[in-house]
Amino acid sequence: MSKSFFQNLLITFFLILVQVLICNHIMLFNIATAFVCIYVIVRLQMDLNTNWLLTWGFLTGLLVDIFSDSPGVFSLACTILAMVKRPCLYAYVPKDDRTKNVTPSLSELGFGVYGKYLFSMSFIFSLLIFVIEYLNFADVKDIVLMSLGSAVFTFMILLGVDSLIVTRSEKGL
Amino acid sequence: MRNLLSFIIRYSKWFVFTFYVVVSLLLLISNNSYRQSVYLTSANAVTGTIFGTWAQVTGYFHLKSINESLQASNAELQNEVLNLRSQLSEYAALVSDTLHHEAGDRYGYVSAAVINNNTLNPRNYFTINRGKLDGIRTGMGVVDQNGVVGIVNVAGDHMARVISLLNETQHFSVKLKGTPFIGSLSWKGGDPSVGYVEEMPRHIIYHIGDTIVTSGYSTAFPEGIPVGVIVNRTRGADDSFFSFKVKLLPDFKALSTVRVIKDIYKSEIDSLATFDINK
Repeated sequence: MSKSFFQNLLITFFLILVQVLICNHIMLFNIATAFVCIYVIVRLQMDLNTNWLLTWGFLTGLLVDIFSDSPGVFSLACTILAMVKRPCLYAYVPKDDRTKNVTPSLSELGFGVYGKYLFSMSFIFSLLIFVIEYLNFADVKDIVLMSLGSAVFTFMILLGVDSLIVTRSEKGL
Repeated sequence: MRNLLSFIIRYSKWFVFTFYVVVSLLLLISNNSYRQSVYLTSANAVTGTIFGTWAQVTGYFHLKSINESLQASNAELQNEVLNLRSQLSEYAALVSDTLHHEAGDRYGYVSAAVINNNTLNPRNYFTINRGKLDGIRTGMGVVDQNGVVGIVNVAGDHMARVISLLNETQHFSVKLKGTPFIGSLSWKGGDPSVGYVEEMPRHIIYHIGDTIVTSGYSTAFPEGIPVGVIVNRTRGADDSFFSFKVKLLPDFKALSTVRVIKDIYKSEIDSLATFDINK
């Protein structure tokens, strides 16, 4: 078990607490919620086995579900997010760089690529959460509006989390 | 066999993905069953403890507005008591004897604190710190000082989960105050202070600002508990009826102290209903 594994585990638990106790109770302008619990899924290194990544995503979602009384919603969204992580990043990385072992971060990818990747992941997750919660395509306008709002909010919060965690432990993730 | 193994290993991520998705979907679907949701809601001691502590801290921030609201409600009740006393004294002079009237004893109230509340989802619930040991049972109505807030969904020994009025699946039987006309109140998502009353007869005379109260046609709520005030008329699903947009009176974002209504005739009325169905 490497040091980074435990570090990721600690960050995950901390962000799950933040998600359950703070973020789930904030709805900015009635349309935007921050989903900070996806941070570690977004930041896990790309050479990690997909099965482990899926397991990490599922368990993260399940823990949020248990503590926020939303069985299945976050676990399903986190699992799907873990599955689309690789194609989402590769959509913005040149073909030649795809074989490298990359840890998605500002320092490795630069703001352009990392920003696009982070926003895409935030939007996909927000969209999944609201589609699963509403389960009704009659509310498409609300779903798209809330997904966009939440994606922007999540993107900004995660950039903030990045600056807090990465500066202290650049080598960790 | 070797081919099968290599096939499974090669596509293992899809098997794992499918497995987790199926588990998540099962959790999602089984959430409709109230019994199974107990494990993830009120009965969860960890969540209860954390939110209990959280509610103790944040409860102080709402005290001022709640106090003002209580004072207003108290003043209104005192006025009502004075009015009733004066009416009683008038009747006492006219009637020397009367039958014992038990209606006032039918309902009892259990005070409870809200320890976890949500208004952001299409289907919202909140948790209170009273359970079966305090006499709370499934189906009991819950009100705060301003009006109706929900119905008890699941009761554990020490805590209970309440289906909030802010739950798209819930409909409440209501009427226009002072009239016998019944409608159905529901919340349709979005703004937690706005509900909709549908199926009101078209011949009723109403004014903006009129109060909507409970109809009393259920064992959950007695007649006449305020729910909201009419904001405007809206286009309903059926043109044969009126539909109203209603400003809900309780402040769902600051729910703190609520009262659970106990109807002593509930079991009797429920058993009568079952009797009819079985016949």
